Amino acid sequence: MDGIGQGPKVVFTLPIFGGIDITETIVIGWLIIVAVLLVCLYLTKGLSKKPTKKRQIVAEMFVGFVNNMVDTTMGKKWKRYAPYIATLLVYAVLGALVSLLGLRSMTADFNVPLTWALMTFILITYHKIRAGGVLGYAKGFASPIPVMLPLNLLSEVATPLSMAFRMFGNISGGAVITTLIYSALAGLSKLIHLSFEIGGIGLNAGQLFIPAVLSVYFDLFSGCIQAYIFATLTMVYVSSAADEGE
Amino acid sequence: MVLAKVTEFLTIDPATIVLTLCNTLILFLILKHFLFDKVNKVIDDRKNEIAESYKNADEAQRKAENLAAEYDAKIGKAKEEGAEIVRAATVKAQTRSDEIIAEARAEAKGIVDNANNEIEREKKIAVNQIKDEIAQIAISAASAVAEKEIGLKDNEKLIESFIEHVGEQ
Repeated sequence: MDGIGQGPKVVFTLPIFGGIDITETIVIGWLIIVAVLLVCLYLTKGLSKKPTKKRQIVAEMFVGFVNNMVDTTMGKKWKRYAPYIATLLVYAVLGALVSLLGLRSMTADFNVPLTWALMTFILITYHKIRAGGVLGYAKGFASPIPVMLPLNLLSEVATPLSMAFRMFGNISGGAVITTLIYSALAGLSKLIHLSFEIGGIGLNAGQLFIPAVLSVYFDLFSGCIQAYIFATLTMVYVSSAADEGE
Repeated sequence: MVLAKVTEFLTIDPATIVLTLCNTLILFLILKHFLFDKVNKVIDDRKNEIAESYKNADEAQRKAENLAAEYDAKIGKAKEEGAEIVRAATVKAQTRSDEIIAEARAEAKGIVDNANNEIEREKKIAVNQIKDEIAQIAISAASAVAEKEIGLKDNEKLIESFIEHVGEQ
């Protein structure tokens, strides 16, 4: 069965450094960037202090939503993190929702959540060092007692890994389940003679409605909630890392 | 059709990681530059404007209240002044009328006195005239009736007693 247990397809190979494979993930990422750029340009066209256009309200609602989220989770002084959190949210939500267009979910490629988790990890480490100095950061691993050192090291590494695997598992699992359900419904339709073939294209009646309902959960809900969880965890980890040294 | 190369379900591909990192940073810059910076600026501008207009409104209200208090004070003062003026005018008028009445009385009294004096004088003049006339008449009568020689002293005595008698009658 196509799609199950497979990673993203390689779209083309750049002929440098002995050939770099450009996968679906990256191409979809570019599409999302272009789409977001166009939407941003449209939404911020003709901004004014007294909003008259609907699109300004939408833009302000989105910015206000993210600002408010950062405010309540991280605090007022972290406002500059709002665009980064918005990036994670937008990229993760759109990356998961492209599956509704029949494309492969960007976040179903482990490399994507891993990249974001590594970015979060770098931010956590940066803020820990900034707050407590290199010495304080190193000491942090041996607290409250030196025996905890291996456990602390493990939990430090586990933070980004768990974040990456949580998102990857949810989205790719959803994709796998959706594919499995499609094939199962095809089999079921054939079994009860509700399968037709018109001009070489198979039509299975059972595939008409049920996958749409399940897709609401596995694609829409899961995609949005995982993006939200990832963004929230990033905010919590980064702000608590900065508070630790104080 | 070339069969597309398919990667493993779970691989770690450095190229994808690096490119995703770049993509994420690009998207971050796009969102920051084209959405957040612009919208935040507008929101901040609006906040400032609202704060400014509230400040102006408060100031205007305070000014208005000050002016109202000032005008109240002024009106109170003006009323007081008016009352004072009326009172002063009343007092002045009273004084003036008293003066006028006193003057009139004094004048009237002067006129009456003058008149009395005049009467007295006229009376005296009349009495004197009458006395002179009577003396004249007596002398002429005496000289006419009594042809006898009378000394000057006797004469005078006679006249005076005559006049005395006339006055008593």
